[in-house]
Amino acid sequence: MAGISLEKIEALAPDQPSLVAARKLVKPNGWSGLSSDNAGLIWGECQGSGSSPYRVIVSEADAGYKCTCPSRKFPCKHSLALMWMRAEGKVTFEAAATPEWVQDWLRRRRTSSGAPAESEKDNAPRTKSLARAVLAKPDEVDPKGEERAAAARERARREREAAIVAGLDDLDTWLVDQAEAGLAGFAAHAGKSCRSIAQRLVDAKAPGLASRVDALPNRIYGLPESARPMAAVEQLGQLHLIAEAYRRQDSLALDLRADVRREVGWTQSREALLSEEGTVTVGGSWRVAGTLSEVQPDKLRRLETWLWREEPGEGPRIAALVDFVPVAAGQTKGTYRTGEQIDGTLVFYPSSRPVRALIKEVTSPAQERDSELALGDHNLPRAYSEYEEALATIPWLNVWPLSFADTRLRRNGERLFLCPADSDELALPLISSQSEAASPLLAMEKFSGFALWDGYACRLCLAQTPLGRWVSE
Amino acid sequence: MNTEELRAKLLPMLLSGARRDSGDELLKLGSDREHSLLRALSLTGQSLRFTRPAVPSEFAVERWPRDERRMVPDRLRRPMLRLLDRSTDDTARALALGFDKLRLRPHPFDLPMLDGFVQRYADRLGATAQFWVLRQVPAQRLHGYFEADELTPENWTESSLRPRVKFLKELRKRDGAAARKLLEQCWAGENPDNRVQLLSTIQTGLSAEDRAFLESIQKDRAPRVRAIVHRLLTALSGEAGENAALTACMNRIQRTKTELLKKRTALKLELAANVKEHEANRWIQEQFADVNLEQLAHACELSDREVIDAAEKDDNLLFALALMASREKSLDLLDVITDELPDAWGRMSELSSEDNLEKDREEIEAWAGALIKPRKWLPVVPFPAWSWLHRQIEGPLSAGIMRDVMASKAWEEQLDPEKKGGSEFVQVMCALCPQELRGMVRAQLERLEADRKDKGWMLLDILDELENLR
Repeated sequence: MAGISLEKIEALAPDQPSLVAARKLVKPNGWSGLSSDNAGLIWGECQGSGSSPYRVIVSEADAGYKCTCPSRKFPCKHSLALMWMRAEGKVTFEAAATPEWVQDWLRRRRTSSGAPAESEKDNAPRTKSLARAVLAKPDEVDPKGEERAAAARERARREREAAIVAGLDDLDTWLVDQAEAGLAGFAAHAGKSCRSIAQRLVDAKAPGLASRVDALPNRIYGLPESARPMAAVEQLGQLHLIAEAYRRQDSLALDLRADVRREVGWTQSREALLSEEGTVTVGGSWRVAGTLSEVQPDKLRRLETWLWREEPGEGPRIAALVDFVPVAAGQTKGTYRTGEQIDGTLVFYPSSRPVRALIKEVTSPAQERDSELALGDHNLPRAYSEYEEALATIPWLNVWPLSFADTRLRRNGERLFLCPADSDELALPLISSQSEAASPLLAMEKFSGFALWDGYACRLCLAQTPLGRWVSE
Repeated sequence: MNTEELRAKLLPMLLSGARRDSGDELLKLGSDREHSLLRALSLTGQSLRFTRPAVPSEFAVERWPRDERRMVPDRLRRPMLRLLDRSTDDTARALALGFDKLRLRPHPFDLPMLDGFVQRYADRLGATAQFWVLRQVPAQRLHGYFEADELTPENWTESSLRPRVKFLKELRKRDGAAARKLLEQCWAGENPDNRVQLLSTIQTGLSAEDRAFLESIQKDRAPRVRAIVHRLLTALSGEAGENAALTACMNRIQRTKTELLKKRTALKLELAANVKEHEANRWIQEQFADVNLEQLAHACELSDREVIDAAEKDDNLLFALALMASREKSLDLLDVITDELPDAWGRMSELSSEDNLEKDREEIEAWAGALIKPRKWLPVVPFPAWSWLHRQIEGPLSAGIMRDVMASKAWEEQLDPEKKGGSEFVQVMCALCPQELRGMVRAQLERLEADRKDKGWMLLDILDELENLR
């Protein structure tokens, strides 16, 4: 079976006991209705301790899963066991039409990894698939109702625009207050101060900006004490840039306008992005260059998958898939692993530097690859120059991907730095939480790699060395 | 206003507070003070963002060692991490011993994730692992990280204890005087634990030439060292001499005659009145620490075999004899004693390992053979005793003993699928399992629930894979 291997199951498992528990369920006699739609979807019912069996679904293309059991582990042992049976290939999955409960899951499923699109794709095998079954029932259209809904949407949009502008005015007032008081001591009261203005921005329906403000104290506290006052100037300066750009968005280029609206909190649905004309769409073989799982102050976990297109050519070579899951849901990592290859087409959100994307179509699901990622031959200074160019284009740029060759890790005191292998031209500090895990790389004379730079420190995602691949866990 | 001016004129104002500033500089950015201030903030902030991070004036020089050992293959790295995640120390030890035997080393990228394992077993895992453990140690306290087979009389003091003991013991076999000289030279700088272990090497090829050195250290501050010195000097002199410890022991041994027709001597050890039951083993160990079997037999006016026969009805005295026989490597006597006292090693496991002198592989196997009597265990030996055994023998049991273990009641009880509990027992048995019996153990474990057998099974699989590497 393509897509899910035993190694991948192991990587997906939240802990060792889950794997052990799943192993006990890897036998067909505890299951009923083990089926597949032959288009990447498998499901079955597992008799657990409850009166009715748990319903388990797994999408092989992106290792998506759903189980009706009450477990707080994700994936639960039932999902892992279903994947396991499929990966081992010892159990027969009957070809069947997708039942209603599976269709229901697919309907409600919305991820950047594009699972619905996978089922919807035109060149899918001619079998009954859930999404196709859903598409087969066109909704009845009521023209007057549509008109009323459109008018209501437009009214809501205008009200929101007005609320945001009012919120930005309050933000400016707050910024002036901070600058008047002096930013040398901002870090000392940043938590409380930022929380209050972030709340105001939430009320003003600018959630993107609110999240940025909310995350600011942690960002500043993460820096050495001596760097905090300067960081306060930089970060608060960016807030004003965003506010000013938003007010003047009509004079901005379309892409930059999309950037600032997204930064403030306007979102674009998957369907809207896919149906939009003129979006940047790039197909090819994509390798996972890094993954990131981070809890945001709003109690959502942000799961990022950074992809690298191996073949040079038109369009962006780096793409970020971003998913959000509630922290309470328990999922701590995404479904992709660094090094995997996905063949397919990505559609990028409009931006003057397109990076964030969705999977539009998967032609071959994620497969583990041992080969090195062809990250190109840019050295670190060159990669950093690209960051500076991007910063000049999007002044409020937060995180930028760096792919580089001929780089080494060096140590000064407790801190590690990414440096060009053959010069002292540049030294990018590594985030302190990686100091321990990355220190074996100090022994490498040079390596190629992929990192995320946030203006203060690098998060190294991948290093390709003579000893093999180093991956940030 | 250019970047330099922004930083020179506006940055100090933004940091200290614009409230205190007249605002002349600000007004260059616009007519309205508030807007000028916001503009100053964003322009200055943005100019700072284009400042490249400062390059440190110097970087540490990395001196990672050359490691001749072969790296564990990639396909085993993840299983190994899984195995060591929440495994018992027995599993970790078995894996470390496997690495050592096969001259393997962990992948350097795994060292941070295996930190606990590496810290504990660095001397089994090669030079890179030792470097990893020592990288935080201040330079003045830093010893080297040499493999045992790389040690020479010039560098041997820089290595960790285990390779040093091994080196000294090997040298002692080849050139006793040279080994003793090295020991004399380093003696003053060693801590008590090291002194105990290093001194144990003198027992190999003990001769009259060692007497002067032993006499020079017989007033050592560490009681354990003094006890070993006393034992060695006694062995050299070949006579009991004045031994206060022996006298104290004899005062506690009651001697009676049993049976009506054929009078037999019976010996019984009287524990001190204030010794509680759970303290008995420790008390016996301390009481008999400076006494050897020959002295005791001489004092009892019996042969050593007769002493054992005479003590057959007194478990405490038998245990004392077992301790002495084990310490003196009198394995034939130990074998006789454990026939009468099959749980002797269970009782030994409750003691510290102070008497765990360096033994070579053959000695260890013979010692284990004399000590372990699986068929006779009554009551069943608890898990900690097995773990202690693995620590002592640092490797698998011989196939003969393991077969007996697998036929024992203790093992049978563990294999009951209904039995509740953790996987500790299975793990230690897998750690003790010799290569040729792994298949049989796997088959026996088959009936257990996955969570009880999983770790043990995984250990066997990994050891198999490591041993089959080409």
